[in-house]
Amino acid sequence: MNEARFVELLGAYGAELARWPDGDRSEAEAFLEIAPHRIKDIWESERAFDHLLALEKDMPASISLETRVLARSYERRIVRRPISGMGAWRVSQWWAGGALAASLALGFAVGYVGEPAAPVDADYAKMLTVSGGGAGAIFITAMNDPER
Amino acid sequence: MHKRGEWFSLEQFAPAGSLSTLGVGSKAMRDPDEELVRRVGGGDKRAAAELVRRHLPRMVGLARRMLGDHAEAEDVAQEVFLRVWKHAGAWQPGKAKFETWMHRVAMNLCLDRLRRNGRQGGEVSPETPDGRASATRALDDRQRRERVRDALQSLPERQRAALVLCYYQDRSNIEAADILGVSVDALESLLSRARRTLKSALSAERADLLSGLETS
Repeated sequence: MNEARFVELLGAYGAELARWPDGDRSEAEAFLEIAPHRIKDIWESERAFDHLLALEKDMPASISLETRVLARSYERRIVRRPISGMGAWRVSQWWAGGALAASLALGFAVGYVGEPAAPVDADYAKMLTVSGGGAGAIFITAMNDPER
Repeated sequence: MHKRGEWFSLEQFAPAGSLSTLGVGSKAMRDPDEELVRRVGGGDKRAAAELVRRHLPRMVGLARRMLGDHAEAEDVAQEVFLRVWKHAGAWQPGKAKFETWMHRVAMNLCLDRLRRNGRQGGEVSPETPDGRASATRALDDRQRRERVRDALQSLPERQRAALVLCYYQDRSNIEAADILGVSVDALESLLSRARRTLKSALSAERADLLSGLETS
């Protein structure tokens, strides 16, 4: 650390050596110990200027601002929860399950009501037995429709 | 030679253009906010409150010094935390300290507002902020604070940003340079010019400003 370098850093970072770059700090402390008076005068002048700057202090945040900021964090969670992660997976599972159940119920009901009176093919009859009618029955009814 | 009643002019000691790269040791420290941010991402309300308590005043302070308006500064701080709530769940430790990221977001929001509103800071008059000649009376702390605040506002925005980050927000030179997207050399140059400009702006009142100021 020489005089020019010390003054250069002093002009940028001020007199508080804790603000100086890590790599220069210890050398600067050592230099200041043995520095001539004119350098110490400069350092004192910068120190006074630092104190002046320090009058412009941080103020504590208001309670109302803290409350508003935190309220927004909760809002985000309330909006986000159903569409994120496992929540989104659960919602989609409910929709898929509900749709499947409704479809099956409708198929069975329509199938039983609309059981064809016309003779059906043996293979289709077997399918009906397995499926118990429903959607399969609708398909077979359509296949056996003479007007088809 | 230095005369009493004047700020020192450092150019006489530091050759122009001699700003060199600062040898800064690497700090492989754990991010002090890492655990807190992880909990916030998981929906922990207590962690959110702690994060707000820890960082809100500094975000407001940064924005207030950059924008010179407390209400606008609170808006910026709220906007910063909206982004925190949005991104906390996806935060990946190790890339940058969370606080540095918050500072970058806050600074960018401030610079955006300044540019949008056409407020760039500007010429600094060596006169007192209201144009009056310096009175030979000691100023109280509130008056001094107002003078400093006015002088800060008159700095060009890049100089103000550098000073705010390094002096008031306690960012390291590397962090501040990163936040502003400049080299450490350029940051150092901005800091030197900022201090010089401020001294010039306050020079007419120097004696009054320093009179009775506790410097111990």
